[in-house]
Amino acid sequence: MTSLASTRPRWLPLAREEARGMLRSKGPWLLAVLLVVWAYRPSYNGWQGLGPNLTVGFVQTAGSFLLPVGVLLLSYRSIVGERTSGSLKFVLGLPLTRSDILVGKVIGRSVGLAVPVSAAAVVLGLIGIVRFGLFSPLLFVGVLLATLLYVTTLVSVATAISAITSSTVRAATVVFGGVYLVFTVFWTGFAEMIYATVGTASVTSFNAPADGLFFALLRLSPGRAYRVLTNWMLGVGNSGAGYDAVITKLQTPTSINVYAVESAFQGQTPPAYLHEISGLVVLLVWLVVPLGLARYRFQRSDLV
Amino acid sequence: MTTPAIETDGLTKRYGEQTALDGLDITVDRGEVYGFLGPNGAGKSTTIGLLMNYNKPTSGTARVLGFDPWTDVVACHQRIGILPDRFDTYDDRSARRHLQFVADTKGSDDDPVRLLERVGLVEAIDRPAGEFSQGMEQRLALAMSLVGDPELLILDEPFTGLDPHGVALVRDVVKSESERGTTVFFSSHVLGQVELVCDRIGILHRGRLVDEGTLSDFRERLDLAADATVEDVFVHLTDESARTGEETR
Repeated sequence: MTSLASTRPRWLPLAREEARGMLRSKGPWLLAVLLVVWAYRPSYNGWQGLGPNLTVGFVQTAGSFLLPVGVLLLSYRSIVGERTSGSLKFVLGLPLTRSDILVGKVIGRSVGLAVPVSAAAVVLGLIGIVRFGLFSPLLFVGVLLATLLYVTTLVSVATAISAITSSTVRAATVVFGGVYLVFTVFWTGFAEMIYATVGTASVTSFNAPADGLFFALLRLSPGRAYRVLTNWMLGVGNSGAGYDAVITKLQTPTSINVYAVESAFQGQTPPAYLHEISGLVVLLVWLVVPLGLARYRFQRSDLV
Repeated sequence: MTTPAIETDGLTKRYGEQTALDGLDITVDRGEVYGFLGPNGAGKSTTIGLLMNYNKPTSGTARVLGFDPWTDVVACHQRIGILPDRFDTYDDRSARRHLQFVADTKGSDDDPVRLLERVGLVEAIDRPAGEFSQGMEQRLALAMSLVGDPELLILDEPFTGLDPHGVALVRDVVKSESERGTTVFFSSHVLGQVELVCDRIGILHRGRLVDEGTLSDFRERLDLAADATVEDVFVHLTDESARTGEETR
């Protein structure tokens, strides 16, 4: 064996094969097309708030709701699918630890999804340049990188669940019922419910409490954390809602059903932990913790 | 003295109330061709699954090429070629990609063309495995097990889905690997195939090793005719163990 082979991570060929498989199948590219169609949403308020950088806002829209469905759909079978078909026996028979297998799967699939997602962002960028003029390239790259981190996080969560379930149906139930519906789509409602149960008063976005803990609870959702981070980059406000809704809430007289730190705290200083960088921290926690817990079980379980 | 290729001590696997493997003690020496025989459900695949770290044992120990198969996985698998039972290939990948993937992971520069020539599948090298018949998949998996010149070849039911040419091919591969000094451990319920290639035979029945030896040992000890086949030995032994099993109940 050459010295090159020994310094190279063991999981690299597995990751390469996973990425190849993604890039050669139709699913990720179909997702890319849908993302462009879904995310191109010019709005008057968006233009007022961002000018030509509205185009970068489209990338955030691409990253919301549709992207998580697509990424989870293309990842939840990554291990349990091979386990039920029997192809996992080949992977398990190779000189790889079970941790290597998890890491190779997550990195390979993330790369395989990053390429079509980036392509969708570039197409949105080109359409944006033609329609609205040149945007800040640095901002575009920043939001795209945040989006790719979000993709990797979702792949990691789906792979973690895939590694510890024994049937694809169960994996699908946990991934879509738990991660997607509870933590992504309906999280605001759940957060309101939890806050009302634990605390005293019920909350609505029209009289949001100036309570740091409530806002911290809201941004535990990976989707909201992603938007807190990208809204910060876009400079529209400290909120987990879509950039155009945040602009409407904070920069127009229209009252709208959206939580934003600025409107709840009205001049008071919000707690330091509500800094927008918390969005990045939450994403990193989702990236590492579920996979770490799954690894613990995956290493010890019977897989055939 | 070199360590045995495979050594198990009281290896046991239970699934709830079911005992799939009950205190297996076997030793397979380096360079030996060991045939692991038994009907379906006897515990053959359970044993191989434990040796390959697919599953964890309930109790007992094992050493594979001197390594602990559950903690020294990388060192172990670097030196093993495995043809699993009831596997599935990757439908959208070509035979070449399958082999390249194994070679890359093992850090081997084996040529997929040469490997597929050995198993008579070279003309299908760039076809996706999803188009393969069961026999072709079996040949591909055999080629994958040969990547990187393993010290130990584990073949779980290698004759599954093969036509007579394929069966002869597996026998030839086992012979030529054995001549190179490779240890071969394989399981089968197709009894007739086994005596042609094995140095030693272990007979597994209901999760227990009921007997072990060379074919001539068995003929002598069991008082069978000189031309008795593995089949005769097998029927004789499993009948007996079935009977004693009933008596002790």
